[in-house]
Amino acid sequence: MTDRDLMIEARGVEKWYPNGYHALRGVDLNVYRGEVVVIMGPSGSGKSTFIRTFNALEDIQGGSIVVDGMTLSDDVRNIDAIRREVGMVFQQFNLFPHLTVLENLCLAPVLVRKRKKVEVEQEALALLERVNIREQAHKYPGQLSGGQQQRVAIARSLCMEPRVMLFDEPTSALDPEMVQEVLEVMQELAREGMTMVVVTHEVRFARQVASRVVLMAEGEVVEMAPPEQFFTAPQHERTRQFLSQIA
Amino acid sequence: MERSSSLQRLRAALFASRLDGLITVVLLAALLAGGQALLHWLVFKAQWAVIQANSTLFAIGRYPLDQQWRLWLLSVLLAAATGVSWGWLRAFPRPDRRARLWPANDRLAAAVLAGLALLLPLFLELSAVISQRWWGITALLLACRWWAGRLGPALPAAFRRGWPVIWPLLYLLGMTLIAGGLGLPVVSPSRWGGLLLTLIEASFAILLCFPLGVLLALGRRSRLPLLRWLSVLYIEFIRGAPLITLLFLGQNILGLLLPGGFSPDRVWRAAWVLTFFAAAYVAEAVRSGLVALPPGQMEAARALGLPVHQAMLKVVLPQALRVALPAMVGQFINLLQDTTLLSLIGLFELLGTARAVMANPAFLGKDAEVYLVLAVLFWCCCAALGLGSRALETRLNSNPQPA
Repeated sequence: MTDRDLMIEARGVEKWYPNGYHALRGVDLNVYRGEVVVIMGPSGSGKSTFIRTFNALEDIQGGSIVVDGMTLSDDVRNIDAIRREVGMVFQQFNLFPHLTVLENLCLAPVLVRKRKKVEVEQEALALLERVNIREQAHKYPGQLSGGQQQRVAIARSLCMEPRVMLFDEPTSALDPEMVQEVLEVMQELAREGMTMVVVTHEVRFARQVASRVVLMAEGEVVEMAPPEQFFTAPQHERTRQFLSQIA
Repeated sequence: MERSSSLQRLRAALFASRLDGLITVVLLAALLAGGQALLHWLVFKAQWAVIQANSTLFAIGRYPLDQQWRLWLLSVLLAAATGVSWGWLRAFPRPDRRARLWPANDRLAAAVLAGLALLLPLFLELSAVISQRWWGITALLLACRWWAGRLGPALPAAFRRGWPVIWPLLYLLGMTLIAGGLGLPVVSPSRWGGLLLTLIEASFAILLCFPLGVLLALGRRSRLPLLRWLSVLYIEFIRGAPLITLLFLGQNILGLLLPGGFSPDRVWRAAWVLTFFAAAYVAEAVRSGLVALPPGQMEAARALGLPVHQAMLKVVLPQALRVALPAMVGQFINLLQDTTLLSLIGLFELLGTARAVMANPAFLGKDAEVYLVLAVLFWCCCAALGLGSRALETRLNSNPQPA
């Protein structure tokens, strides 16, 4: 892989919370174009915090992050520019409850990309079609099931045409029977070549879709390997311990 | 069958046990005694001449006779605008919401309005000319309501969407009509009085305290320390001081505080004090709405690339204000009632007018009649505010039960 294909480059990322807690201890990670990187790890290992630094939802106290050639800085304009290119899906969906599904999708493209509402609406409907939820376009988020809401949230991110998508435990808040419909949408997205960083506990998804799997513990990257090797022949004791706990 | 079941229900509700029955009997007896006394007083004892003789004073104060056509014109415009808005809201319940703005008994509301408009001039013994004007204005309102409901769908949607803009414009136009300027002779605020002055003071303060309160609430949650401290200081100072002291203070020092020797009239000074006072309370209501909002909303908006001000305007505030709406309307209702304090600083709003009337030797001892009318008037205004806010809440409710 050449540097041209480098989508996210995190170098020695350090994060202290205001209460003094050292959440990230010099984390390195390269994500290449078209890759799906799955990050696993026990709760409190800093994996969510880590991917939230990629679009500056968490500020960092050391190290550097480069997204698609743009170095993340404190400058608000720089941060907004990076956020336009990075889509994010949250554990709690975070749909806007006062807007319809369609309005949720169109808000950012119209306000941020200054695009025509009519055009965006056409694309938004096509995206809703892709996540199998077009018939709900004029409902409010509160009227949808959890799985449907999360699919809308994915479509809302895609509507900004991001270069990379971040998923922060996208299925953890879902009822078990709704997990699959969300994972299928993510799998489809990966097949189409979207660059993705996914924090999840779904082993099957990691095995089938991931290019690489990362184990984080105590704010550090412990192991990084292709899924086959990660799940069958892990190099580190900490990884074996983690896998035995989630199996 | 039907009758016996409703009788049974009544019996179950009122006489379920011996104690329930006793309470019911006692309460009914008290109600009967009190109601009978009140009714007796209303019909046989009360003398409404004090209201009838002073109805103009109660309505508009000492507004010059030769300029009163301006108020009539304003009433006509208000009636027309109200009618059109009413009709349209009725004709276009939001199709995506199951909750409707207007309940089915909206026709009843129109009937009550028509009945009141018909009877009130008779009760007040207004002259034939003035009675006919009121009837005409009411007829205009109802006609506009009918017309907008009937013809509304035929008009282009842009026209309908643009219509609400008429209200701020009408407010400015109304203020100009009342106060003068733009070629109209000026009517000094000292000539305004009664219900007119009460409504001017309250509406001015309500309209201005809202944006001010929102800014204060945002300031209190700002990351800039100085802004935050100043907001907290302001809010806590105002909330710690009784309105009446602020009103006296305002009459004395507001002229000194404002730049360039800009010293508004007493009426406007009071209006500004009311505004600044209510803003602190509105700020706390808005803040409660902001606190109730999950932080994920702001994060999601920012993650989509929205700058802070757009995330605020499009995502955070619409939700926070909806949560804060009931508390804010409560504040507005308080504000309307607080205008009575202006009588203590010598303004002739409703209570001030009433006190002046009761001081007139011709109407000595008619306090009960005057205060009763005042109470009913205030109750009507507050009920209208409350109804409007409940309708707004229903219309803004975006979390209907799953269909």
